[in-house]
Amino acid sequence: MKHFCRREFLKFGAALPLAMNALGLRAGNTPKPSSPPRRVMFICNSLGFYEPHFFPKVRGDVSSSTYLENLAVKEKLTVFQNLYHPGMDTSNHDSEKSFLTGAPYPEAAHFKNTISIDQILAEQLGKGTRFPFLPLSIYDRGWGCSWNRRGVPIPPLHDETQVFNKLFGQEDLSARRRQVSNDQYVVQCLYRDMEQLRKQGRESSKIDAYRTVVSELEAQLKHEELWLSAKKPVVPNPLSDDQEFAFSTKISNLLELSKLAFQTDSTRVITFSMDWIYGAINVPGATGGWHTLSHHGGKEDALGKLSLIERDILKHLNSFLVELDRIPEGEGSLLDHTTVVIGSNFGDASNHTCKNLPMIVAGGGYRHQGHRVLEKPTPLCNLYLELLHQHNLDVGQFGSSVRDAGLLRG
Amino acid sequence: MAAIIHSIGHKPFVTDATRLMLGLICFWGFPSLKALESKPEKILERYCFDCHDELSQKGNFDVVDFLKHNKPDGSLLFENLITGKMPPAGKEQLSQEERRSVLDWLAKREAEHAPVSFRRKSRQEFVFSVNDLLGTKLELADDIPEDRGTYDFDSDRRIKLSREVLSAYFSVVDEMLDHALPVEGIPTERVWQTNKVKDSHESYRCYLKPHDEGILFSWTRANNGNNYSFFYDNFEPPVPGWYDLTFDALKVGEFEEDVSLQVYAGRYYFADDRPQPQRLLGVVSLGNRSLASHSLRVFLNPGENVSVHCYSKHTFRQKSPEQGAYIKQLRVRGPVFDRWPPRPYQQVFGALALDSKVLSSDDEMPSRSRVALASRSKDDLRRILQRFAERAFASDLTEDELAPYIRVSLRHFKEGEDFVQAIKGGLKAILCSPRFLMAPGEQRAVADSMAADLARILWLSVPDEENRLLANRAAISDDTLRELIDRMIDDERSARMIRSFCDQWLNLRSLEQVAPSLKLYPRYNDLLDYYFPLETHAYLGYLIRENLPVRYLIDSDFSFLNQSLAQHYGINGVVGQSMRKVSFSEKVPRGGLLTMGSVLKVTTDGYDTSPILRGAWVSKNIVGTPLSPPPENVAAIEPAHGEAFTLREQIELHKDNRSCYACHKSIDPYGFALENFDASGQWRERYRVKQAHKATFIYRMEGYYRLGGTVDASGEVNQRPFENVFGLKKILASDQRKIAYNVAKKFFEYVNGYSARLEQRLELFDRIAAGVKGYRMKDLITEVIVYSLHEGRK
Repeated sequence: MKHFCRREFLKFGAALPLAMNALGLRAGNTPKPSSPPRRVMFICNSLGFYEPHFFPKVRGDVSSSTYLENLAVKEKLTVFQNLYHPGMDTSNHDSEKSFLTGAPYPEAAHFKNTISIDQILAEQLGKGTRFPFLPLSIYDRGWGCSWNRRGVPIPPLHDETQVFNKLFGQEDLSARRRQVSNDQYVVQCLYRDMEQLRKQGRESSKIDAYRTVVSELEAQLKHEELWLSAKKPVVPNPLSDDQEFAFSTKISNLLELSKLAFQTDSTRVITFSMDWIYGAINVPGATGGWHTLSHHGGKEDALGKLSLIERDILKHLNSFLVELDRIPEGEGSLLDHTTVVIGSNFGDASNHTCKNLPMIVAGGGYRHQGHRVLEKPTPLCNLYLELLHQHNLDVGQFGSSVRDAGLLRG
Repeated sequence: MAAIIHSIGHKPFVTDATRLMLGLICFWGFPSLKALESKPEKILERYCFDCHDELSQKGNFDVVDFLKHNKPDGSLLFENLITGKMPPAGKEQLSQEERRSVLDWLAKREAEHAPVSFRRKSRQEFVFSVNDLLGTKLELADDIPEDRGTYDFDSDRRIKLSREVLSAYFSVVDEMLDHALPVEGIPTERVWQTNKVKDSHESYRCYLKPHDEGILFSWTRANNGNNYSFFYDNFEPPVPGWYDLTFDALKVGEFEEDVSLQVYAGRYYFADDRPQPQRLLGVVSLGNRSLASHSLRVFLNPGENVSVHCYSKHTFRQKSPEQGAYIKQLRVRGPVFDRWPPRPYQQVFGALALDSKVLSSDDEMPSRSRVALASRSKDDLRRILQRFAERAFASDLTEDELAPYIRVSLRHFKEGEDFVQAIKGGLKAILCSPRFLMAPGEQRAVADSMAADLARILWLSVPDEENRLLANRAAISDDTLRELIDRMIDDERSARMIRSFCDQWLNLRSLEQVAPSLKLYPRYNDLLDYYFPLETHAYLGYLIRENLPVRYLIDSDFSFLNQSLAQHYGINGVVGQSMRKVSFSEKVPRGGLLTMGSVLKVTTDGYDTSPILRGAWVSKNIVGTPLSPPPENVAAIEPAHGEAFTLREQIELHKDNRSCYACHKSIDPYGFALENFDASGQWRERYRVKQAHKATFIYRMEGYYRLGGTVDASGEVNQRPFENVFGLKKILASDQRKIAYNVAKKFFEYVNGYSARLEQRLELFDRIAAGVKGYRMKDLITEVIVYSLHEGRK
């Protein structure tokens, strides 16, 4: 469908780069930028982590956590305790919609979301890359954690092969090229049209205002044209096809693609909605419905299986962080320039409560503190506001933020 | 989060004009002694300084400071004087002449500070215009970024065209042209029949069951009150287009009310019970006891599926249901065209001969027809583009003016594209050109620019050829102009204006942004959100078309309701979901805008009622008193809803604080009068206090609350006490001139994109008294349009 192609492109292509000189960088084997770019990744584990196993038992000591004791990059992360989103008392799984936006009462019938933090960051960080951002999820479900300025969900990509082709594969872009070239004709026509109006002595401020906008659009088309002709980086296909543990494979494949996307500077903002609400999954040692098990009600049998699933997820996240940290970049590693936020919309998924959210901030070159317990419940949006500030974005306030959390400065 | 007292809904307290003006305050040094001796200043000194000098500054307003610094924005002073709000009753009053001389002086001294600005087409105007030009009915306004910001009206001249918006226009035009004149041709009409729904999660499968030849649906809400959809299988729309959906359905159950079947379009995802973004296509009201066919004509895109929602208090969580909506089958026919070749071909190509040829067909693809043009002549191409451009711009064009557009099409033509495709290139350029987007004001002839203005104001569109001719006569005298306006209001396209003005003036666009708590108001549902504005649109449309006096805005003995609304309002005997005029007995508190669900809901704070927000809404939108912004050093009250003492008591504590009370005594009483209406718009005698739920929140019909304190809806406006909303309505309706003046100002701003300058307000005020007998609605807006066409465009 022709117009569907166009819409797809608008989702990912409309904010194509304005920094022309950044262009050569990603096309093949051109040199790396002098100072490493900053990147962010948000991961939402939408069924939460069993709190008693997740949070460290000894205040300040990550290795006292059942789940986190084996994390390898402890000195480059902080586990935050006592963060929450206000306005979630009657929410259940809908709270995921607000994980990155902080908008209250997402379960309301006509709930209108607000922009998510990854999208604000993408507006800034996404200017110089082929993809301003990359939204991912485990299965096809139409929405994830990314929401645009109009509060419309940005459907995440769930098919690894499709993601790989988008990032590194060959695509037929001829229809899009023709579209861009047609739009360029139209722009030329508009300039001639304005010339006519000017000659006739029409209101010049009006024409000037219009001309400014048309020239901005022209620049956008020019950049899109350049990206359409620029070659994609060449990367061997890393996708694993282990069907026995399909769920595990899916997570590790998507994390691997995320790593490659960062490494090749194809994007600087990734959002990964990790969810599998229904149907049984199989991880080493356990089979069961993740959602069903998440309502463990404290029963030992269910908890045992659930923790195997949760450990499996954390194992993949751990190796993702380790690999990012192994890639040298500038004076540190890629992880030092990449903020990875791992968390959940649920504190206690068994009771659908959204208090005390499990939150980890890793990498980004911050002064990390291992485990930090906040004295009283603090809006998660305070931390988000701080992240925006850390990326030189001044948005006034964000979601339910009251103030910059001031947690990453140590 | 609870509301902050000093914010009014989603709009700023101050008019934006005020804010802008404040930004432009100039300091012209010390006022000369001479200026202070002149008469208006003397009058102000005599009547105002007692309360509004440097020392008292009642209501945070200091007239001495205003004069000393020669502040250009005198609108607050002006409005308080013209509407007689100041000096307050009980204080010495200005004589008619004194009042007038101060008003004239204020109007005169208002410097021409208005920034250089011009109208652009709003996104609604854009989509309606393109639809009318092409003969399509696409609803694509939501694909264009909302650029209104915090301004009240789309037309506001301070809103600038942005790259994001232009870029969206480019792609929306592509979509509209592709739909109107498709490259791949048009699939021939097909029929689908299905009685099967797609697989859904087991938790919800129990709320439907096979019944007879189809399915009985009873309850489509998740445990937490969310909507859950059942998607019909075996039908996928092959192309974007119009489809006739016919449900052969029947209500099953021994109760009086109908069963409402909500029909949505959205994408199906297996077993995800969270509400997906879906579009409401329509509601089928099943009231009868025999199987009947119910049809809806809807627009569908490929990838969308049709889903149904259905719930009522009679079928609450009925497993293996016995009652509900039985749908024997869904039949779909489409894509349908009301004529052949489709309307867009006729509108764009006019009398030129069209060829329909049937393209190859196989089992997979339905056979398609392609409409082509017999011609390949450049003259035809030129003629077609000229005709389209002249309709789009409402103006005749010279060869030179036309040349750039023709060039685009010729280029496509040369590259070997077919005639229709080549034309589309030129059409796109026309629809994205400054002549179209930055309209009006690009017409050479006065009559043309009048026709363009009228079509924009009354139809949100471009004039048709007939109207351009009629405008030639209308340009001759105001009486012929009034006739033309009357004629255009009679046209069904004026419904767009009524809806658009209504939503912007009354802030109904924010209606869905606030959701009453399901714990306190379990009977509230999304259908009410859908019906509330329909009532207001129908009512306002009726007042305008029937030319009723403006007091009907405040009070009347009728409204437009259906079963859902009537039940919600506690009115018996309305069965079925079609909107109809319903008369009220004297005891019914409804009638008029203030007690409509739409207004009562949009003025809540996203959680429960707030007398302050409601008071500010009435003050700003109905009474028309400008509100001064709260002083910056005042801390906001975070209302603790439903606690031991009522919000009213909390607010009244502030009576002791004179600086708050000075303003709030004229804002809050309107809100107090409406306290008998809860956040969902239902009548209440007592407040509800929210109760905690255990573990996961589970929706239940009786909610989670206990009854709290008794509502006290009494108050006092302009020294006139009232017991409740009945009394308030009487007080408000007694001053029709004030209400009419406010409507005129709002409509002027809607029409012209800026709030009337003071001298224009004086003129409007005078015209209302002189020209609008009985303060009738249609006369009133007609007068504003006539005045605007002469004045507003300056």
